[in-house]
Amino acid sequence: MTIEMTKVSFAYHGGTSGLPVLADVDLTVPDGEFLILLGPSGCGKSTLLKLIAGFDKPTTGEVKVAGKTVTGPGKDRGMVFQDLDSALFQWLTVRGNVEFGLRMNKVSDADRKRQADEALRMVNLSGHVDKLPDELSGGMKQRVQIARMLAMRPEIMLMDEPFAALDAQTRQMLQTQLVTIWSEVKRTAIYVTHDIREALNLGQRVLLMSAGPRAGIKHEYEVPLAYPRDQTDPTYIDLLDKLSKDIEEEVTKVWS
Amino acid sequence: MVVETPETTPAKTAVLGRWIAGFWISFLSIVFGLIVWEIAARYFIDPFFLPPVSAIVAGAIELIERGLLFQHIAISLFRILTGFILGSLVAIPLGLIIGSYMPVRQIFDPYIHFLRFIPALALTTLFLVWFGVGEVSKILLVMYSTGFIVVINTATGVVTTHKNKKLAAETLGASTWQIFWFVTVPAAVPSMYVGMRLALAGSFLVIVAVEMLAAESGLGYLIWTSKLYFRIDWMFVGIFLLGFFGLLTDYAWKMLGRHWLRRYVRETANY
Repeated sequence: MTIEMTKVSFAYHGGTSGLPVLADVDLTVPDGEFLILLGPSGCGKSTLLKLIAGFDKPTTGEVKVAGKTVTGPGKDRGMVFQDLDSALFQWLTVRGNVEFGLRMNKVSDADRKRQADEALRMVNLSGHVDKLPDELSGGMKQRVQIARMLAMRPEIMLMDEPFAALDAQTRQMLQTQLVTIWSEVKRTAIYVTHDIREALNLGQRVLLMSAGPRAGIKHEYEVPLAYPRDQTDPTYIDLLDKLSKDIEEEVTKVWS
Repeated sequence: MVVETPETTPAKTAVLGRWIAGFWISFLSIVFGLIVWEIAARYFIDPFFLPPVSAIVAGAIELIERGLLFQHIAISLFRILTGFILGSLVAIPLGLIIGSYMPVRQIFDPYIHFLRFIPALALTTLFLVWFGVGEVSKILLVMYSTGFIVVINTATGVVTTHKNKKLAAETLGASTWQIFWFVTVPAAVPSMYVGMRLALAGSFLVIVAVEMLAAESGLGYLIWTSKLYFRIDWMFVGIFLLGFFGLLTDYAWKMLGRHWLRRYVRETANY
């Protein structure tokens, strides 16, 4: 499904309290793309993602998914939250969490089991289905969130810095796993991060956001490299360099 | 690959060992406390004010022989548990609705936050006039004191349910009702659990006071009338039994949380 944003601005409390977080954002995401929203903290990249998810409504402008205006959250748009604990249902096992959406939508027992098993396999959690979230590591918790989203087979996968709270090794492993999953399910993925390498390891296209308030899309970078990304490739190094300089400018703006 | 852990492991044995060690430390602490009490009461303090443990035990035996003690215990526990359970049955649904629906909250909030500062004791006489001297007024007073604690804790549990859980459920296609039943309610269980535990302790306070003021049975009555006969030992029997049954019911509640509600209340039941 294609996502289209036209002249989107967002301010908290309908603009009554200060400057808008986002201003005049135009964005088109073609079906099946792996898109990265990259930017320093406070640039409004998560806000942009929440507008697509339907958690917040734009103050002005419009967000359309498959031609229809977004009015709220929907099961066509899955979400993985940054926080390790707050989004999981701690009283349910791994399987219970993954099957939650399927149960709510009264999917038949057979389909529910099949779709959940498939999702659990994709994130390598098949051996941990009876554990409770408290018994899992941070990386496993995020994989439960991903599996819970995959089980619903959403058209669009939204991810808000899902690996930011994890250690470097786990993060790298999960990045590889996520690319594999994305190429298997062939759905649109929008991934928010502040980590340039992560952006280059995952995305086909990277949108660098300017610092807020009145944040927007500053520059757009295509990543013309095959997966898995070779970090020693000259193009990779070149992009890394450009993005670092570009993002540094924005960070400096905030600090000075 | 996950390796299945056999049922009895050195780790489990170690845990059991620590538990037994902990039990003996507590047990010895109690025995030591009783010995200090006995010696103090025999040799240093006027036994009229603090009878020795042995005299209290003798007093308890006397009460049992007269056939009154178990009756007092039974009626007090009946009032406490009935009021506690009925009060919770009213308070939990109310707390859930107040926590999740603003108009209902605005309707009930003024009453709740006003009335909760009026102790059940202040209402005892009024309730006797309204509901008679029988069991109804006593149970209603326990319900009253239980109700506020449980309502407030339940509603707090609802409003503190993390927003991400509800948003996640929405992206998974859950309806408003489903979010209420399958996200908000289970997420509020720890608060309900803690609220009910506090309310259970509160029920003991209320019933004793009520029985002192207006009853012809119960542990509160026993403590109150012991004064008339100058039986300080009987008074201590009543006091001891209150502590004992309070501890017992609290322990039962804790075990319920640990074993049956474990996945809901989690670490809340650890203390």
